[in-house]
Amino acid sequence: MTKGKGIKRIFSLAGIALLGCVFAMSLVFLPGHAAARDIKIGLVDCYSGGATTFTYDVRDAFQMAMDKVNAKGGILGKKVVVATRDTKFKVDIGINVTKELVMREGVDILVGTINSSVALAVGEIVKKEKIPFFCTFSKSDKITGAKGHRYVFGITENTAMIGKAAAVGLAGKPYVKYWIAGDDYEYGHALGEGVWKNLKKLKPEVKLIGQSWWKVGEPELTPYLTAIMAAKPDAVIFATGGASMVNIMKASKSTGFSDKFPMFIHTATELSTLMPLGQEAPEGVLGTSNYHFYYPDTPENKAFVKEFRAAYKRYPKVGALYGYLTAQYIIRGFEKAGKINTEKLIDALEGFTVDSPVGPVKMRACDHQAELPMFMGVTKKSPDYPFLIAAAIETIPGAETLPTCEEIKKLRSKKQ
Amino acid sequence: MFKGMIHKGALSALAGLLAVMLILPCLIPRFYVYLIASILVMALLAMSLNLVVGFGGLFQFHHGVFYGVGAYAVALLITKTGLPQWICFVLAPFAAALAGLIIGLICIRLRQLYFAMIQISLGSLLWALAFRWYDFTGGDDGIHGIPMPDILSGIHNSYYFILTVFTLSIIGLFFILSSPFGITLQAARDNAQRCEAIGVFVRRHQLFAIVIASFFAGVAGVLFVVLEGSVFPDLLFWVLSLEILIMCLLGGWFTFAGPIIGAALMLSLRSFIGMQTEYWTLILGIILALLIFFLPQGVWGYILEKVKSRKEAVVEREA
Amino acid sequence: MDTASTYGLSELAMQLLVGLSRSMILFIISAGLSLILGVLRVPNVAHGSLYMIGAFAAFTVNTVIGGSLGFWLSLILAPLFVALVSFAAERALFCHLYEREHLMLLLFTFALMLILGDMVKLFWGVEYKSVTAPDILKGSVIILGQPFPTYNLFLLVIGPVVGFGLWLFVNKTRVGKISKAAAVDRMMVGALGINVSWVFCTAFVIGCFLAGLGGALVAPTMGLTLGMDHAIIMEAFLIVVIGGLGNIWGALVGSLIFGVTHSLGVMLLPQFAIIFPYVAVVIVLIFWPRGLLKSVW
Repeated sequence: MTKGKGIKRIFSLAGIALLGCVFAMSLVFLPGHAAARDIKIGLVDCYSGGATTFTYDVRDAFQMAMDKVNAKGGILGKKVVVATRDTKFKVDIGINVTKELVMREGVDILVGTINSSVALAVGEIVKKEKIPFFCTFSKSDKITGAKGHRYVFGITENTAMIGKAAAVGLAGKPYVKYWIAGDDYEYGHALGEGVWKNLKKLKPEVKLIGQSWWKVGEPELTPYLTAIMAAKPDAVIFATGGASMVNIMKASKSTGFSDKFPMFIHTATELSTLMPLGQEAPEGVLGTSNYHFYYPDTPENKAFVKEFRAAYKRYPKVGALYGYLTAQYIIRGFEKAGKINTEKLIDALEGFTVDSPVGPVKMRACDHQAELPMFMGVTKKSPDYPFLIAAAIETIPGAETLPTCEEIKKLRSKKQ
Repeated sequence: MFKGMIHKGALSALAGLLAVMLILPCLIPRFYVYLIASILVMALLAMSLNLVVGFGGLFQFHHGVFYGVGAYAVALLITKTGLPQWICFVLAPFAAALAGLIIGLICIRLRQLYFAMIQISLGSLLWALAFRWYDFTGGDDGIHGIPMPDILSGIHNSYYFILTVFTLSIIGLFFILSSPFGITLQAARDNAQRCEAIGVFVRRHQLFAIVIASFFAGVAGVLFVVLEGSVFPDLLFWVLSLEILIMCLLGGWFTFAGPIIGAALMLSLRSFIGMQTEYWTLILGIILALLIFFLPQGVWGYILEKVKSRKEAVVEREA
Repeated sequence: MDTASTYGLSELAMQLLVGLSRSMILFIISAGLSLILGVLRVPNVAHGSLYMIGAFAAFTVNTVIGGSLGFWLSLILAPLFVALVSFAAERALFCHLYEREHLMLLLFTFALMLILGDMVKLFWGVEYKSVTAPDILKGSVIILGQPFPTYNLFLLVIGPVVGFGLWLFVNKTRVGKISKAAAVDRMMVGALGINVSWVFCTAFVIGCFLAGLGGALVAPTMGLTLGMDHAIIMEAFLIVVIGGLGNIWGALVGSLIFGVTHSLGVMLLPQFAIIFPYVAVVIVLIFWPRGLLKSVW
């Protein structure tokens, strides 16, 4: 045998040995149960790819709140342990890691996720396993609507709420001929339909002259905008999210679209959209968001922003509110229940109100949906920050945008 | 190479392995039962792909479509028609085989990467259908919480069901590969021209292989629904297909059992590294690169080769 | 929805121009992919990751240097950085694998894709990034009475320049000619005593340079996110296969088809935009099973 072959053989044997070790180790350290008396919370979310810019804020704010409570001796004397898992924005991996957290880690509570499909799948898993699940970022209104049940809580706003809030804002404007464009997936369509249904109700004379939908993450939006410009609507509703937000803002500026047409985009005023654009974002875009670190200008919000910036050296974005609020519900809920029991926690949370950076937020009893207020504003340059901010902010209370309890009941009773 | 597997010793080893698999759920925590069950599903899918890629020599780059069609077929049949679930389980693989026949008929004229890309395009049309047809397929949200027969509820019950179907399927695959059809398929892979010359309809054999592989991919799709109770468009997306292909290559694509090893490796690495770090793709990538470097014939291929060379050495010494 | 009739000729022409400018970016990226496919016979799945690295590197150059100088330098430095990364990967790892099955090489580029994707997250973090175009390329100019983004006009200029450069490389340089020959018959080239390994390396690095250039060029038009690698790679492969594998001019033809049908399609049949590329590939391959132009595969 030649020398080279010998070395190769050693390497390959080493490789196999390494793999064997990985297997053996994973079997030796079988169940990773924490000390029996800890409260274990599993965070399932997408921590790779474009969604990370939102999910890191949820995770960090959640962790921050839990660190604080742990430093004070935990919830009712019990420490909180947080385990995070990355779903890669894939549903199969999301299901795998959720089951791993439930079966192997034995988590008491699940928190997550930005992907609606994963959130719905987790909703089904927790129904069987009887574990409370706090949905932090997925906007699908099915989660606490048609598919909602005792173990699911909706923290974030959903498409039904966005649609209603946006319609309230747009009904007061003089536009008649609308165009709807957006990301070609459930969120985009649900958002577009939600806005349109409510707007039509509030202002029957509005007309939809056309729609365009692009694939999620479409890098080049210019052809869509030039096509809309040719149709000359009065105003345009963009039902986009995630990575498309920066793209649409850029393209609308470079084509001169934003100067010619009034635009409404949910999350256009959010920091995740405006910060990367710096001074390049178009002014005068109408947008809605659940959170701004500079608004409302209350001591609670200021204290939260200060704490978050001290911990992570960045401004909190909307995800930070969701993460923080979830943590508050868990902490205060257990305290109200008086003992560490998740069934008692669920009972305690129904109709329960906690303080948050945006004021007190109630968890509605009938569908477990938090009544988060929505802030509608217009993008504007600011002397204080190197990026645009939302100005002329109007607050739309959460209770006004939620579907009624009867509507929810009807949705849930429908045979699926 | 698998003629040797009918060897008596090998047979008793396999029987022993099966016995271990049967009592395993009583010994290990339920997460590991679940993990093994999902490995079995993936392994069946990878083996069905390997029938076409490893033994048929075709660039089947979008095999996930047939898996997805099987899964969607069973999900839609159960939720929309109200037929008994067991009938849906039986019908779904035929839907996948039909998809295989239609896509195969269009692809089969092309070769190598052209075959691969037209298959990816056709498969992506099906993906777009599942992704966009909100009223029927649930769109990108998918369908969750699909009702299963009571006898399959609980992870242990579904494990035994999956193990049974898996075992029957690989026995089926084994006999197909050792049949005259299987031998011809491999001959066509090695030298298509010569096969044509002796009167074999190479294209027809390959098409038939695609249909069979699609059928078994559909079976894997059904097993996935049994295990998870969910379907979603990711099942039909090209990324998943690439992953199964990687499993075949990793395990050893000219061997019968290689894809099982590949699937086991990928899934367990993914779970165990994912528990430790968010950067698990980085580590997975590095491990993959190392394996490619040092085990070019795949993990199982390497092991088989070692066993063979040791046997030969023994024979030589005895002589 | 029947809105097609309301569009005038000038709107259609406008749409055509927008589509052409997108084609230029697609051409630059897929030409690189096609070069690697032709010479090395490797479907380089990591091409999208290199494109992403090019875009993020352009962002870094722009923030460090700033101003319009930063932008112009980023068009050179970012692709060079990508070329350097690919050179290191090729010489350290890839070049030892050329004797292997092509599918195993695919497996290797897949591993590379996994590694590079996480590397970008490690180095650049998770926030969305945005690059500002220099002042002369900002805003829009009026063409045929319609506003047309100046940056897209710039893309219409740069595309042919890159194409010409590529033509010079393939037809006028020694390495280019050898790589063209190696694409057709690598055994013969090797038999003539030429070091094929280095030819492969050059072709690989140039292909990756083009991916990086595509990334740097696209940076000012969109938000840079993790995951932009996945969005481009399938499109690039589809383009290459339409034109004929390994044929750089095929990549040009494919890009033009994609860019133009897409931009006209979103105006005339917007609800089918998501499936255009796939339908285009199916139609082309049914009638031209080996792509539109001469293929080396």
